[in-house]
Amino acid sequence: MEKLPYEKPYIKKLHAGVMNKFGTRSGVQPVKSIDGVLVKTLIENYGSPVFVLSEKQIRKNYRSAYRAFSTRYPKVQFAWSYKTNYLNAVCQVFHQEGSWAEVVSGFEYEKAVGNGVPGNKIIFNGPGKSNDELKTAIKNDSLIHIDHFEELNQLLILSQELTGKPRVAIRVNMDTGVYPLWDRFGFNYENGEAWTALSKVIDSGKLHLAGLHCHIGTYMLTTDAYGIAANKLCDLAMNCQTQLNHKIEYIDMGGGFPSTNTLKGAYLPGQDTVPSVDDFAEVITSTLLNFGFANEDLPMLILESGRVLIDDAGYLLGTIIANKRLSTGKRALIVDFGVNVLFTSFWYDHQVSPAQDFMPHNENMVIYGPLCMNIDVIREGINLPLLNPGDQVVVHKVGAYNMTQWMQFITLRPAVVLIDEQQRPHLIRSNETLGYIEEPEFIPIHLKANK
Amino acid sequence: MKQVSAFIKSIVNSYSVLFFSQNRVLGIILLLVSFFNPISGVAGLSCVILSLLVCHLLKFHGDNLQLGIYSFNSLLLGIAFGAFYHVNFLFVIWLITACVMVTFTSVIISNHLAKSKLPMLSLPFILLFWIVLSAANSIFNTGLQQKSSYLLEEIYTGTGNIAGIEASLALALPNLVGLFFRALSAVLFLHSVIAGILISIGMLIHSRIAFSLLIISFITACALNSVTHTYPEGISYYHLGANLMMAAVAIGSFFTIPSLRSYLLAVLSIPLGFITINGLTGFMSVHALPIFSLPFCIVNIGMLCLLLQRKWTGKLQLAHIQHYSPERNLYQYLNQEQRLNDLKYIRLNLPFMGYWTVSQGYDGNITHKGDWGQALDFVITDDEQNTYQYPGTLPEHFYCFNKPVLACADGIVEAVVSHVEDNAIGKQNLKENWGNTIVIKHLNGLYSKVSHLKKNSIKVKPGELVKQGDLLAQCGNSGRSPEPHLHFQLQVTPYIGSKTLRYPFAGYFNKINGKNLLESYAIPADGLLISNAEVNSPLKKAFDLQPGYTAKLVDSNSLGQYWEVFKDPLGQLYIYCKTTGAAAYFINNGSMFYFTSFYGDKQSLLYKFYLAAYKVIFNDAEDLVINDNLPLHLTHSKALLWLQDIIAPFYRFMDISYRGNVLTKKNGLSIISKQYTIIGKKQTQTTEASVYIDHGSLQSFNITINGEHTEATWSTEN
Repeated sequence: MEKLPYEKPYIKKLHAGVMNKFGTRSGVQPVKSIDGVLVKTLIENYGSPVFVLSEKQIRKNYRSAYRAFSTRYPKVQFAWSYKTNYLNAVCQVFHQEGSWAEVVSGFEYEKAVGNGVPGNKIIFNGPGKSNDELKTAIKNDSLIHIDHFEELNQLLILSQELTGKPRVAIRVNMDTGVYPLWDRFGFNYENGEAWTALSKVIDSGKLHLAGLHCHIGTYMLTTDAYGIAANKLCDLAMNCQTQLNHKIEYIDMGGGFPSTNTLKGAYLPGQDTVPSVDDFAEVITSTLLNFGFANEDLPMLILESGRVLIDDAGYLLGTIIANKRLSTGKRALIVDFGVNVLFTSFWYDHQVSPAQDFMPHNENMVIYGPLCMNIDVIREGINLPLLNPGDQVVVHKVGAYNMTQWMQFITLRPAVVLIDEQQRPHLIRSNETLGYIEEPEFIPIHLKANK
Repeated sequence: MKQVSAFIKSIVNSYSVLFFSQNRVLGIILLLVSFFNPISGVAGLSCVILSLLVCHLLKFHGDNLQLGIYSFNSLLLGIAFGAFYHVNFLFVIWLITACVMVTFTSVIISNHLAKSKLPMLSLPFILLFWIVLSAANSIFNTGLQQKSSYLLEEIYTGTGNIAGIEASLALALPNLVGLFFRALSAVLFLHSVIAGILISIGMLIHSRIAFSLLIISFITACALNSVTHTYPEGISYYHLGANLMMAAVAIGSFFTIPSLRSYLLAVLSIPLGFITINGLTGFMSVHALPIFSLPFCIVNIGMLCLLLQRKWTGKLQLAHIQHYSPERNLYQYLNQEQRLNDLKYIRLNLPFMGYWTVSQGYDGNITHKGDWGQALDFVITDDEQNTYQYPGTLPEHFYCFNKPVLACADGIVEAVVSHVEDNAIGKQNLKENWGNTIVIKHLNGLYSKVSHLKKNSIKVKPGELVKQGDLLAQCGNSGRSPEPHLHFQLQVTPYIGSKTLRYPFAGYFNKINGKNLLESYAIPADGLLISNAEVNSPLKKAFDLQPGYTAKLVDSNSLGQYWEVFKDPLGQLYIYCKTTGAAAYFINNGSMFYFTSFYGDKQSLLYKFYLAAYKVIFNDAEDLVINDNLPLHLTHSKALLWLQDIIAPFYRFMDISYRGNVLTKKNGLSIISKQYTIIGKKQTQTTEASVYIDHGSLQSFNITINGEHTEATWSTEN
């Protein structure tokens, strides 16, 4: 007989409630492997904590989202939002699937070029583009999405001496009936600023207005907003066609589709509440198809989804450091990854699963990271079985934003592993080292340590 | 300068066209050979020049003049005049008169017969020369003095005696070989082995196929005579050459695409020729007129008339586009047979967006049976081949449910049914088995039908005009449909429930293991994952060459060549090089650009571009390989080609294949193409080229043909 795991003795308050049809189980299941690779082996080989990405899941997400749009609309193009996860291996998976690149800084632009994305398949967004960055983008025939009039003027100056026209798009913000109103990026639709901007682009004769762009928010829980946004962009495109005699080649609806993570403070789990990509696709494409464009004039539809394509393909594996009982009597679990690594724990109640068999008794507990900082809370309350130091846990749906917004703070950032479709793990980013962190540092001679 | 060279070209063409050729070498040989009888030579050449001048004066311009069609009968007339009459003052007068008459007659007869797609051959000459002969023999004083020579005797009676130097040469050669050469020379009213040898060389250079037919017809005629003894003293060499052999070459290789069947037809023309010659000789001897090549005209025009009556052309094809070379006619025909489906079918697109799977193909084992066999069912599947999302208990769970259904081509909505309820999953409605359905009329006798649509989702009404790609309805689950799917079929009658018609889609992507394959004019098989071809707009824009498009190309020596795009009277587009006079015909069907034929100077940049961008698909997927074949006459291994030419009507052992793909560059993209000569299993790369495209326009191209490198850039002036 197998030796049963040791479990600390505990005392639990008796809840004398009525039994429900789900029994008393918490529903938590152990997650012992990811895509067929044992969690234990992964931690043994790559250390703890470690991020794990599933290539199979990324591709599956991409394909099903692309299918949702491309079976409803004739010209669909995805552009991978670099800021969501710009590990080169991840970007390459998306580029292999056919994604363009959507970047928001010169740094990301260079990454995209380095990943072999042709210049004319890079969308350059964002409010902060330097003169030199714009020059490079113009040279490479990239799509420059203009955010404000300063940028527009800058582009007009840069294009003075050029023979060809740089291809640009206008970013538009608008009221889509949701709160908060995103009006800090681009030109406003309702007050006519967007129309002024696009007329200025066309009248200049120096820039080629290729598209219109909007990005109405993030983690959007309603599909209606996209219908309104698509309608307003179509209206601009149609006016542009009829009044300025210029055909808009593409409409970029941005991203903002939610993953199935549960937002903090949400009453029901994300799985049950967020609309699917199909729902968004239906609203956006039917608005575009029914707006009244002639078949051959239908603008290409670009989508810059990030989160929804990668969030559930990412896992964070970690190890229990200690158990604690707080003064209130609440149980606390200390794990070896903190908010510096799992940045999204500020936004979501991440699902955490034990990576080994456990006894069926649950207790509500708080999960703390290893940082010596009060903010380092991974979960404020979660029902988990009792775990021992050295036990391993898996945090789910962490693929988006963590591997770009993480910071080196107190501890070093962990390795990232990609499991390919043949279930082979590949190290795609190694553990940070002290040398890597100190490499750009300089010490004045008078401060050097005496040896 | 240009006009002078064009004029000289028409003179040479007037000679070569006698043997159905535009070959300059053959033309010059014939010109020289005609001077074997100096008077004939001078008279012939003057007649050609005179009739060309007359046509110029009367502004009968165009191809017929350039090709020598209007002037070759004058040539025959001049040669005959020289052969028949002594030169004197009246000879010149009547020669000029007759020449002008024959030119007019040529213009009239050729244009009238052309309406019935028939050639005039040497009819004007025969008619006019009969008039001249009758006039000379009449009671009035015409002043023409007839020669007496063995040639005339031969022409009049069919028996002539050989004399002079020719006789010794004729005797030195085996009987039949000598006869062969003499027969050939008879076309120019000569009786000379040397002339025949020279003409043979010219013919061999012009066409191996035509030359082989000369030999075949010669042997057949001699063999037939040895069996029938129609001519106990041997066939007259004049009739052998001017009637029997020429008739066989014309019908076997010029008016038809050379093939086994055309060769059989050529052999058949020999006995027809025999009987026509004999009959006409008897008939015309009453009037003391020789029949010349009238049997040749009658046999050929008669056979062509008959062939034109056919409703189904079968395997014996007429040469509709005449390249004046049997080889080129054959190779171009074979090549276009394979490539020009755009002109045979209407362009049918798939009736949906994105990638769908064929769940039941033609003659499927579920419902596509018998008369209703030529239909397709489509569904959407995911990577695990499921057609639905868990749990799949409602139509809404199925990927294809509620997806847009499109018009496959332009047409008029014929019938609509939209009231049938969508079934629950697993249930079928056998009473209204087609469910909600739309029938569209594309042409008289060509209708498409989509069925099992969603209830009340149909957006069109009967009588409405729809364009290709217009939204018709949403995919549903009505009728005989246990789970949502789209049924598509073509039919010849407008009724719902009509039997089906086999008809290919113009072009679609077939995705196998994540890689796309472009299928052109094909019918997708069961289980394939297909979509309409995705189009890369910059690439499409670059090749959107509309009439009026002009470009200046600059080569590495910074010499410019000017191009312009025109549309011909048949609506075909071509690029015309104003600098070199070359023309390249192309088709742009919206998803690809391809050249169909090239005419003119092979040193021109246009020819290089024709090879470099022979076929371009408007898609930038690097793994998408374009395969095609070039017509064989473009090969660079000329020696092998001659071998191939001889047997080409029956068997082709050579092939020139073209392979292209797109390479994405940091800026823009390049179309990389290679050409291979394939002989058996051995393939040799002959050509490598790349065309560079940026900012949606053609920028430059380079091509290396057998080590010879050419580069050209589009000048930015336009």
